Amino acid sequence: MDLLSNKWIVNLLVCCLFIGVGCNSVEKKIYVHLNYTVPCVRLLNATHQIGCQSHLSGNVGVLHVLESEENVDWVLRSGPNPPYLVILESPLFTRSIMMKLKNGSSRVAGVAVVAPSANPLEGVSPHTTCPNENTGVYTENYDPSLAHCNVTVWNPLGSGLSYEQFDFPIFSLKDDNDTQVIRQCYMDHNRAVNGSTPQYPLCAMQLYSHMSAVTDTATCMRRNDINFSISPEMVCDPLGDYNVWASTRPINNTAKGHKMWESVVIAAARLDSRSFFFEVAPGAESGVSGFVTLLAAAHALRNATQEAPPNRTILYTFFQGETFDYIGSSRMVYDMQNNNFAVDLDNVHSVLEIGQVGLRADSRLWLHSDPVSRKNDSVNAEVRKLIESLQTAAKGLNVSVNEPGFSQPLPPSSFQRFLRARPIPGVVIEDHQSAFTNRFYESMYDNAEYLNISYPPNLTPEEQLVFVTDTAKVATVVARALYIQAGGAESQLEGINADPQIVTRMLYGFLIRSNNSWFQQRIPPDFMSHLSKPTNFYVGVAQQRSELTHLVQYLLANLTGSTNNVASSLQMYSYVWVQGAAPPNSTKREGFCVRSTVRLSKALSPAFDLRDYTSKNYSTWTESRWKSIKGRIFLVASHDLEVVDRVRAARFAKEILITIISVNPDLFKVLFGFSPFLYCVIFLFVHIIGLQSEKAQSPPQRDLPSPTENTVHKLLQTALL
Amino acid sequence: MNLERLPNEEKLSLCRKYYLGGFAFLPFLWLVNVVWFFKEAFVKPVYSEQLQIKTYVKRSALGLLLWVTVLTTWITIFQHYRAEWGEVGDYLSFTIPLGIP
Repeated sequence: MDLLSNKWIVNLLVCCLFIGVGCNSVEKKIYVHLNYTVPCVRLLNATHQIGCQSHLSGNVGVLHVLESEENVDWVLRSGPNPPYLVILESPLFTRSIMMKLKNGSSRVAGVAVVAPSANPLEGVSPHTTCPNENTGVYTENYDPSLAHCNVTVWNPLGSGLSYEQFDFPIFSLKDDNDTQVIRQCYMDHNRAVNGSTPQYPLCAMQLYSHMSAVTDTATCMRRNDINFSISPEMVCDPLGDYNVWASTRPINNTAKGHKMWESVVIAAARLDSRSFFFEVAPGAESGVSGFVTLLAAAHALRNATQEAPPNRTILYTFFQGETFDYIGSSRMVYDMQNNNFAVDLDNVHSVLEIGQVGLRADSRLWLHSDPVSRKNDSVNAEVRKLIESLQTAAKGLNVSVNEPGFSQPLPPSSFQRFLRARPIPGVVIEDHQSAFTNRFYESMYDNAEYLNISYPPNLTPEEQLVFVTDTAKVATVVARALYIQAGGAESQLEGINADPQIVTRMLYGFLIRSNNSWFQQRIPPDFMSHLSKPTNFYVGVAQQRSELTHLVQYLLANLTGSTNNVASSLQMYSYVWVQGAAPPNSTKREGFCVRSTVRLSKALSPAFDLRDYTSKNYSTWTESRWKSIKGRIFLVASHDLEVVDRVRAARFAKEILITIISVNPDLFKVLFGFSPFLYCVIFLFVHIIGLQSEKAQSPPQRDLPSPTENTVHKLLQTALL
Repeated sequence: MNLERLPNEEKLSLCRKYYLGGFAFLPFLWLVNVVWFFKEAFVKPVYSEQLQIKTYVKRSALGLLLWVTVLTTWITIFQHYRAEWGEVGDYLSFTIPLGIP
């Protein structure tokens, strides 16, 4: 018995080995996997879901490279092999084409957009025309004539594509070799030549981006919380991160709530950005220009606020999540109202916000203020004083600062959330007089190229780092204006200058390459690995720390703090160990401790703390979870051929079984208990028949081995006899 | 179990047990009753206990039909309207599908 059972075991193992090896190599021969897949994901808020969804088993579609807008008719009506997976070059990724594809989504399996290497000439913005219109200060209650961008449409080029819901996956492809393979596959197999219909086998692509959450935030948060199901699954997560804030005078952070005798000038900027696709958010003009300016201004004020401290404290705040209905600023205002923050709203004297300041044609800056709160005389007086401070600060710097000249509401800015709480005097600095000058607002083209940050060719990364691309005038204006607004003496203004080197290096680091030596010297040692990822300014889900927030935190600590070796009062200061530079003769870095007043405060929408998921006052944005995101291309056979092959395979299996039974009737009973070898053979046989049908799906220029039916019949006869 | 070998009294008691057991919210017992004893009740030549077995089988069939109707109606309504019921639908569900309403 021992010898016999050994024989069966060996036979079984050999069979399994054959099948296992056969399976893997077949898969590699059929599919070509896409390396770079950037999907569009589903986001939900209190009332809607936006973004894209695919089937759980991926969406398969025959490739079609769209040539023009009229060619959409082929996809939607006349093409003979639906569903189609449309490849769009970026000039065709417009609202009209996408809406047509959305309406015909039974014939559209998905869309792949080829991202160009250079920005397009005309402006393209997938954001809405009136960003954050429902969560700003301009509601029907505040002033109906100013609500919903009645006076100025801030983003006139906005197509609103980012806020549409699609039933098919939309991926972004880089214009590289992989995409060339895709185009070649289309040219070889799918093109209709001279009016004839393309013949099978056709080139097809399969995209997986199945999103788990559905309907709206209330539904998905409820499904997160259900306790009694057998497999509790989280389906969505709220968006959020941390705000970064610092003060020129240390404020006791453990004692929350109102601070007596503390009058604070808030200098605010926005950190985040977004685009249509997931985690692609260069945000150069919409985000980076603002917060880099504020970082440089904070550095410029370091010495002046230490040597000749002004009366009021300046609070530098960097808000995260502002793109999605002001997550960061609404949370800070909420914390201030509930005595959960180091200062109170009563402590806030005024607000100066830096918006989009990167595209300064003729070096002009515009100062926006809120007309409704300025109807109050005291507020108006303070705003006038702030504007005068800014104009004083800009003297002699060749920058002109003006008010827009007509009554206009504030552009979308974090200051609006402060105004919602109480009428605080404040000004928002922008580079546009009315509508945005940013033609690529919240799109993937809002990058360094758009800000004209260019370097002479043949510079190494280190040389590019020190090449001055910006003169830091705006930062100097902001720094001086903050100093005057905080009550400082005008005589000190000459000494306050922002360093163009620092601005340049920050722009290089945030827009081109964050893994550079200047950044590396200012971060703790364990943060080094995070620098190598490409910077994207998407706020992300609250559980996931964004690298950007920490980078800003460490930079602000280095730019406003001082070196100190003893961590003494944690209530007033925060301490960070940075790894520093390596001295010229060795490779080991000399770290040091930086003491600063930089802190993080949670930027999660109050709607999630209050569990009010249908809130109209606070942001309710959540991001869906998903299982896998991938794509692959292959050749697909016609549906009829698949059916015919499956029927043949089934008939063969039946014939084999009948042959076995006719040879020995009792073998049927024996088969299912005591002859693993025979069972294995049958399984292998059916599998090879399956291979034969898959031969029709093979990729170009490859041959699959396919044993004929005769040889297998012979194999079986020898096994039985 | 082969009914051929049982005496008639035992057949009757078995049928009665299944009939009474089905009242404890166990409609499958009634299904078993109907299928198993159908031949005994309607096809076999007449014997003394057959009349009672016949009534048990008929009543089991009636109960089964009632259960099938109720369950089919409820299942149809639930599958159709679960998404629209929102919160109630989610709390009634054992597993909720991902990605579809």
